[in-house]
Amino acid sequence: MTLLDVQDLSIVYEPRGSEAVPAVKHANFSLEQGEFVGLVGESGSGKSTLGFAITRLAKPPARISKGRIIFDGKDIAEMEDEDLRRQRRGGFAMVLQSGMNSLNPVRTVGNHFADIFAAHDHVLRSRRKARAKEMVDKVKLPAAVLDRFPGELSGGMRQRVSIALALSLEPKLMVFDEPTTALDVLVQRAVMETIRDLQREESFTAVLVSHDLGVVLESTKRVLVMSEGVIVEDGPSSQILNNPQAEYTQMLLSHYADPRAEVVELPGLEVRGSQITTSTRSGGLTGSISTDRRERKAHDPIVLTRVSKIYPPPRRGEDPVTAVDDVSFVLEPGQSMALVGASGSGKSTIAKLITGVERPTSGTVTFGSLDVGTLHRSGLRRLRQDVQMVFQDPYSALNPLHSVEYTLMRPVVNSGELRGTAARTRVLELLEIVGLTPVEQFAAKLPHQISGGERQRVVIARALACNPQVIIADEPASMLDVSLRAGVLALLEDLRQQWGVSMLFITHDLLSARVVTDQIMVLNGGRVVEQGDTAQVLRFPEDPYTIELLDAVPQPARAGPAEEIA
Amino acid sequence: MTEKITTEAEPGQRPDAPPVRTAAPAPPWTVLVRGAATVWSVPKARFGVVLLAIFVILAVFAPLIAPYLPTDNSFGRSLPGSAAHLFGTTAAGEDVLSQVIWGARISVLVGMVAGLLSTLIAVLIGMSWGYTRGFLADVINFVVNLFLVIPGLPLMIVLAAYLQGGGLTMIIFVVVVTGWAWGARVLRSQTQSLRGRDFITAAQFSGESSFRIVFREILPNMTSLIAGSFFGAATAAILAESGLSFLGLGGAGSVSWGTMLFWAQNSNAILTGQWVLLFAPGLCIALLATSLTLINFGVDGLSNPRLREGKGR
Repeated sequence: MTLLDVQDLSIVYEPRGSEAVPAVKHANFSLEQGEFVGLVGESGSGKSTLGFAITRLAKPPARISKGRIIFDGKDIAEMEDEDLRRQRRGGFAMVLQSGMNSLNPVRTVGNHFADIFAAHDHVLRSRRKARAKEMVDKVKLPAAVLDRFPGELSGGMRQRVSIALALSLEPKLMVFDEPTTALDVLVQRAVMETIRDLQREESFTAVLVSHDLGVVLESTKRVLVMSEGVIVEDGPSSQILNNPQAEYTQMLLSHYADPRAEVVELPGLEVRGSQITTSTRSGGLTGSISTDRRERKAHDPIVLTRVSKIYPPPRRGEDPVTAVDDVSFVLEPGQSMALVGASGSGKSTIAKLITGVERPTSGTVTFGSLDVGTLHRSGLRRLRQDVQMVFQDPYSALNPLHSVEYTLMRPVVNSGELRGTAARTRVLELLEIVGLTPVEQFAAKLPHQISGGERQRVVIARALACNPQVIIADEPASMLDVSLRAGVLALLEDLRQQWGVSMLFITHDLLSARVVTDQIMVLNGGRVVEQGDTAQVLRFPEDPYTIELLDAVPQPARAGPAEEIA
Repeated sequence: MTEKITTEAEPGQRPDAPPVRTAAPAPPWTVLVRGAATVWSVPKARFGVVLLAIFVILAVFAPLIAPYLPTDNSFGRSLPGSAAHLFGTTAAGEDVLSQVIWGARISVLVGMVAGLLSTLIAVLIGMSWGYTRGFLADVINFVVNLFLVIPGLPLMIVLAAYLQGGGLTMIIFVVVVTGWAWGARVLRSQTQSLRGRDFITAAQFSGESSFRIVFREILPNMTSLIAGSFFGAATAAILAESGLSFLGLGGAGSVSWGTMLFWAQNSNAILTGQWVLLFAPGLCIALLATSLTLINFGVDGLSNPRLREGKGR
C-alpha cells in the first residue's frame, strides 16, 4: 500500500527583497507502508526542504510552487490547521537534527510525554505513566529519565527522548532529519542502531535525511540521492552501493573507504601502506616555492612532558574535571600526527595547551626553547608566529565584513617587515598556494561570496601567512561536504610535504587521519590509550577503545538490514 | 626573501593594479549604503526619515523660513493667530511660529550632539569592558552599575542646577553623563558574545593588538546595534533637553521648545486661550522623538534579518 505519494513537487525559497531560489525541482516518488528510505545529498541539495515539506512543516520563505503531496490518500496541502494538528498523532512525525535542544528545559521528560498524551488524548489517563515508561524503554533508556530535566541528560539521551516523543504519537510516517549529525561518533552509532531496531519492530514508514551516504546505506533499504534540488537516483541500497547509476552517486561513494584497509584511496589522495603520495593538482604549488623549502623547514619540536589539565568543578559539590591526564609526546619537526578520540577525550584541550590559550595544571609544554605554559603577552606573540591554527568551522573563522585580502594582509603585516606592495604580493602568493585562482578576484571577495571549501582554504592561507613551523588543524574538514573534504585534506598534506611544516591533526574521523598523518595518538578520557604509526594502529588496533572508534565509522559496504547484500 | 618573492612571483600579474591599500577596499561604504537601503525599505522607518528630514531642514534654514527673529518682542502681547502671526504672539510679544522654527535648532542640535557623544562613550567603555576580563572589568562593571541605579531625572536636575548658566554645553554635558550607561551595557554583552567567535581567536593568532581586534574586527560587526543605540540616545537627549528647559534650567536667553513651554506655563497661556503656545512646541517634541523611534524600527531590521522576512509566519 502506498503511504506517501509525492507528485511533481517543486519548492522555491522566496526571501523578501531578493530573487526566488528553487530548492526542490520536480520531485516524484512514493513510499510504501513500512519502508525505510534514505534521502541523501550534500548541503544545499534540498533534502531537508523536501523532508520538511512532506511533514507540512515548510515555512515561509519556502513555498510549494507546484505539485502535490498525497499522504494516506489525502492531499496534505488542503488540510486545515486543526486537521493537521489532529493527524500529528497517527500521521506523520519528525525528529529534528537539533531535536535534543527542542525539549523544554524547565519540564521533566515525563511532563513532555504527559503533554503529548493530553493534547491528543489517545492513551487512557490511567495508562499514561505506564505508556511513557514503555516508550523510553523502547529507545533503550531507563525509566528513571522520566523524572529528570532535559539539562540533566546527555545529548544522545536527549535525542533518544525526542525520538521516543515522536514515536509516542504512533506515527505512520517518521522523518528523521540528520538525527545523529550533532552527536559524537560513538553515540551516533548507538542512536542509529536504536532507530534501525525500532523501525524493524514497529514497522512504521521512515525517511532518514542525511548528508552521510555511509550512515544511510548502513540503515536503509532504499535510497534517494538528491543533488541541486533534483532526485538523481532512486534505488535499492544494494544497487546504489554496488552499481550506482548517477555520476553524482558514484562521486559520493568514491569518498568512502575503510580506514582499516591495507590501501586507502580517496579522490586526490592516496595512501599505500604507510607510503603516502598526493596529487600536486590540488595545491597548485609553483617551483619558486619549493626552492624555499630549506628556509621554511620546521626545526623546533613540540614536547609535552607529563601534561595534565584539571578544570575546576563546573558546579559546587562536583568533582574537578580532568581534561588531560598525564600526556607526554613529541611532535618532531616536519611530522604529521593525528590526535583522535570522541568528544570530551581532551584532544581540543591539548591544542589549547600547545597554543598557550590554556596553561597546564602540571607538566610542561615546550616549543623549541619556549616554555609555552609560562608565556605572557609578548611571548605568546612570538609563539604564534610559529604555531598557527586551522579552525573547524570555516563559517565562523572569517570575519564576515573583511575581504579575503584584508584577512590575509593582517598576519603578513604583523609578522614581518612586508608593507604595501610587497605585502599585497605576498597575499596573492598565498592565495595561489591554496589554489584560489584567479587570485586577484578572490582577494577582493567577502566571505559570504565564496563557498565553504573556499573559505577553509582562506583559513589555511591565513595560517600559512606568517611562515609557521607548526600547523594545528582542529577538525579542518568535518564541517565540509564529502566532496570538498578530500580537497582540503589534500591541500594540507601537500603543504606539509612541500613546506616541511609539522602538523597536529585533531579529528574524530579516522579515515582522514589515515590519509594525512604518519603518527597517531588515540585519546580516551584525557589519557593516551594507543599511539604509533597511523597505518599500523588503524589496521591492527589493540586497545578496545580504538576498535570501538573504528567500528563507529560508517561503512557503506557493511549494510545492515538489507540481507540480500552479500 | 622579501625581494625574492616580489621579483619571482610577479612577472605580469599587476599591469594596472590600483594603488595598494592595507585597509579593506571600501566595504564600510557599501555596508552603509546597504544599511540605509534596508532602513528605507521599512515603511515605518521611511516615514521617520522623512519626518526627521523636515525638522533638520527647519533647523538649518530657520533664518530663511522664519518670518521674524524669535527674540523680536516688538509685537503686541498675547495676540491671537492672524495673517501676520499665524500662531499668534507670546505674553512677551514674540512671534510664536518663528520661535517654533528656531526652537528646532536647539532640539536637533542637542539630540545629535548629545546622542553622538553618549554613543561614543558607550562604545568605548562597553567594548573595552566586554573584551577585557578580570579586575578591570569588575571596576568598570561597578561604575556602570552606579550610573544605572542613580535615577536619571533627579541627577540631571541637580547637575543642571549646579551648573546654572552654562547654556547649551551644560545641557549636553548633563544629558551625556546621565545617558551613556545603558548603551554601554548593551554593547558589552554583544562584544562578549562576539569575543568567543573563531575569527577573533584567529585575529589573535595573526598577531593583532587588542585595540585593533576591538575596533577593526568586533566593532564593524556591531554597526546596527550602535546605530540603534545612537537613535535611542538621541531621543532620550531631546526629551531630556525639553524637560530641563521646561523646568527653567535651560539657558535663560535661548529659544527652545522646552523654554517656550516654560514661558507659556508661566504666563498661564491655557487660561488666556492661547493653547497653540503649549500645543505647537509640545507636538514638535513628540514628533521629533517619534521620528527617531520610527527609524529604529528599520535599524532593527538591519541587525535581525528575520524581521525582514515578511509577515507570512
